[in-house]
Amino acid sequence: MGLGERYDLYACFQCGKCTGGCPLSLRSPLNVRVLLREVLLAEGPEGVLQRPELWDCTTCATCTLRCPRGLEPSEVIVALRAELVESGRIPKAVIDALEATYVHGNPWGRARQKRADWMGELRVKVLPEGGRAEWLYFVGCAPSYDPRLQPIARVLCGVMEQAGLDFGVLGTKESCCGNEIRRMGEEGLFEELRQQNKEGFRASGVRGVVTTSPHCMNAFRREYELEGLRVLHYTELLAELIAQGRISPRRELRQRVVYHDPCFLGKQNGVFEAPRDVLRGIPGLELLEFSRSRELSLCCEGGGGRMWVEGVGQGPRNSELRVREAEAMGAEVIATACPFCLLNLEDAVKTTGLEDKLQVKDILELLAEALQMEV
Amino acid sequence: MDVVVCLKRVPEVAEVDLQVDPTGKRVKTEGLPFVLNDWDSYALEEAVRIKERMGAKVTAVTVGGEEDEEVLRRALALGADQAIRISDPRLQAPDAFAIARVLAQLIKDLPHDLILVGVQAADDGYAQVGPTLAELLGIPHATLVTSLELEGGKARVRRELEAGLEEVLEVELPALFSIQSGINEPRYVSILGIRRVAKKEIKILGLEALGLEPEGVRPKVLLERLFSPPVGEGAEIITGGVEEVAERVAEIFERGGVI
Repeated sequence: MGLGERYDLYACFQCGKCTGGCPLSLRSPLNVRVLLREVLLAEGPEGVLQRPELWDCTTCATCTLRCPRGLEPSEVIVALRAELVESGRIPKAVIDALEATYVHGNPWGRARQKRADWMGELRVKVLPEGGRAEWLYFVGCAPSYDPRLQPIARVLCGVMEQAGLDFGVLGTKESCCGNEIRRMGEEGLFEELRQQNKEGFRASGVRGVVTTSPHCMNAFRREYELEGLRVLHYTELLAELIAQGRISPRRELRQRVVYHDPCFLGKQNGVFEAPRDVLRGIPGLELLEFSRSRELSLCCEGGGGRMWVEGVGQGPRNSELRVREAEAMGAEVIATACPFCLLNLEDAVKTTGLEDKLQVKDILELLAEALQMEV
Repeated sequence: MDVVVCLKRVPEVAEVDLQVDPTGKRVKTEGLPFVLNDWDSYALEEAVRIKERMGAKVTAVTVGGEEDEEVLRRALALGADQAIRISDPRLQAPDAFAIARVLAQLIKDLPHDLILVGVQAADDGYAQVGPTLAELLGIPHATLVTSLELEGGKARVRRELEAGLEEVLEVELPALFSIQSGINEPRYVSILGIRRVAKKEIKILGLEALGLEPEGVRPKVLLERLFSPPVGEGAEIITGGVEEVAERVAEIFERGGVI
């Protein structure tokens, strides 16, 4: 079956809402509407596959959400990438990320033996060897290895402990969730990762999984087919814990904080309130909103493999537009709830020279301050 | 055109603190991931490109156990026409000569215009199998090959020399070339691609099938002892948090006039 039939592309009436909403259309030749037309009109996808901008797409899925015909243009791009993957003709950066994930279980090629190093001095139950638990904390690749993010994982463990939750981790057995792997077109590798992690979930005997990253959460909730297992992003868990009074952020944080909605948390999974609830639960904190927030949130360009592939886009990065807007509205802090967003926005603060005016923090870091925890 | 490409599966050791096992004769490889030797991936890609360019039959060969078949599967997924694994319990801890000997015994009876190997293996790094194999087969060879063109029964190759120099050689076929990394850009081999060749036959040959006596593959080099080099002077291991380390590195750079 051709892509036209498989993705129902004959239903497309070329209205252009996909391209109109695409966060990349400002800086990349990527034009989703044209792409769909080309896929339909050409005998095969061969011509479209020559387009290097196929790798610019962050799979934020804005096009899919906006399509009035209910089509899934972002999935068509993933399918096109899958054809490239099968032919082997993919950028070196993508090859490196995929091979590293196959060999080491993470796209950065860091050693599996070091996957649990984020714990530092912390003692966390490793499941199932270390006993049983109700919750599995799925740390994710970036927070496991990136020294900027490792403390965030430790804070979440501290908070869960304070709330009296029974939880554990998979330690060095945890493998990449595969969310970006599938979106780079490597369906086979995604299936292998899914099988590995599902086996880990099953063996751990937990009733729920909580993730640091919205990307892992998205894969587990929508692409893992986990029956009888509750999957939460950590902001959803924290909002519950605050509502139940199981954690009480008491220390005042007199800061103007603007919240950046990660695409895989907000747009794609509809989690808009939980992160805001957590921020509103911090006394003294003034919560600001971007002009483009919630469903309209501007993608940081970290999804769909873009953490590893630069893309052909030119001009200011979306993350740079984002931090400039935050500064203009007088925010002191951009808060977010995704490791990729955090890294990209923080880089943008540096490249725009706003380091003295603006900080980028994970919601967990703000909460830790309000709970007077050590980070 | 018949092309034979020799492959080796090696442990991936970047970022790992290697340890010598109690026998003192081997590095502990338990728990390490294994991959196709990086240089061999360029040799394999080159073989497949020759096939695509001018038509050729590509045979992939490895010496090793069942787990080493994964490099042959990769070769088949990429386009190799057949795969052969040489395996024999009497081939314990073979040296470069023993490997070259069994390969020569196999390849002498296979049609071969071109034999491609990686320059060296990432684990022991001897770079000897290629040249030894060529000698045993009595065919010419060139090492460190960075480009390869074929025409009229001859190969025109570029070799990498010291100090950025290169030499160009014209070599009569059949010949063996050890392929340097960077000669091409190895393509990606997908998991589905590997799954597709999961059932393809891999021929397994032992010493008898090759017509070799165990005597004939006795290693000429015996490893006495493996050990970590003694800690020398002048090196400073910087420890501490990211910021401390970065500060100390910046200080050293500044003092040394680097920045």
